[in-house]
Amino acid sequence: MKPDNSIENTICTAVDSDELSRIRDFVKLKAEDFGFGDGDCNKIVLAVDEACSNLIEHAYKKDSTKLLCVEIDSFDKEFIVKILDNAIPFDPSNVELPDMEKYFKVLKRGGLGIKIMRLVMDEILYYPSNEHNPVNTLILKKHLN
Amino acid sequence: MIDEKLKIQTKKNDDIHCVYLNGYLDAHTAPKLEDTFQQIINGGDYKILVNFSELDYISSAGLGVFMAFIEDVRNNGGDIKLASMKDKVFSVFDLLGFPMLFDIDADELDAISKLANNQFR
Repeated sequence: MKPDNSIENTICTAVDSDELSRIRDFVKLKAEDFGFGDGDCNKIVLAVDEACSNLIEHAYKKDSTKLLCVEIDSFDKEFIVKILDNAIPFDPSNVELPDMEKYFKVLKRGGLGIKIMRLVMDEILYYPSNEHNPVNTLILKKHLN
Repeated sequence: MIDEKLKIQTKKNDDIHCVYLNGYLDAHTAPKLEDTFQQIINGGDYKILVNFSELDYISSAGLGVFMAFIEDVRNNGGDIKLASMKDKVFSVFDLLGFPMLFDIDADELDAISKLANNQFR
């Protein structure tokens, strides 16, 4: 991936948690433009933040020489966020979600990002890189009611 | 710069530490709050009030800071009370059921009163 911020619906940043606020601002603006109210905008922003934070922390191990891209697309009333990376593939749909009562009993920490993504978005898809396409793509969808 | 994204002010009233958050609490800024909690606990204090009135955003990384310290604090006869959240911040706590584990008060005086009267979970 190359950093190409000239594309209006795409933002590419270094893999650095310092960039999260810029990604959030970008996604919020796009979600507002699409017609979502504050509540849904906040949910979409949160889901994208969780996905990017996981990439930065776990997939890329905070290697800020690497890049990730967030691309906004739409189909009819579907708001579609694509998060692109070159790290080792990791499918969030294969992760077992924590039961919160048990989670609070053992006073665990972490592991909530994917649960949040699933709770606030309507659909999550994952396409790992392959021999034809070296980019992993996480797709988060939210329907505009 | 972390400092521009999360400002933290603390003040101590008797044995209660009040922590005021301003800005964003995400994966980038969470370590700063972690340092603040660690300093309070290192000083032997375990009654902590966190005022969220100027906090505009929290992600799971921010929630994780509270999970990291709650056991230690409660095992030492204290608690972490949360207060004055904006709706958008409360909705993240509520989404995952955090009110099961933490008292979240609209007014910080209520939270301080609970700490002063040793009303712990």
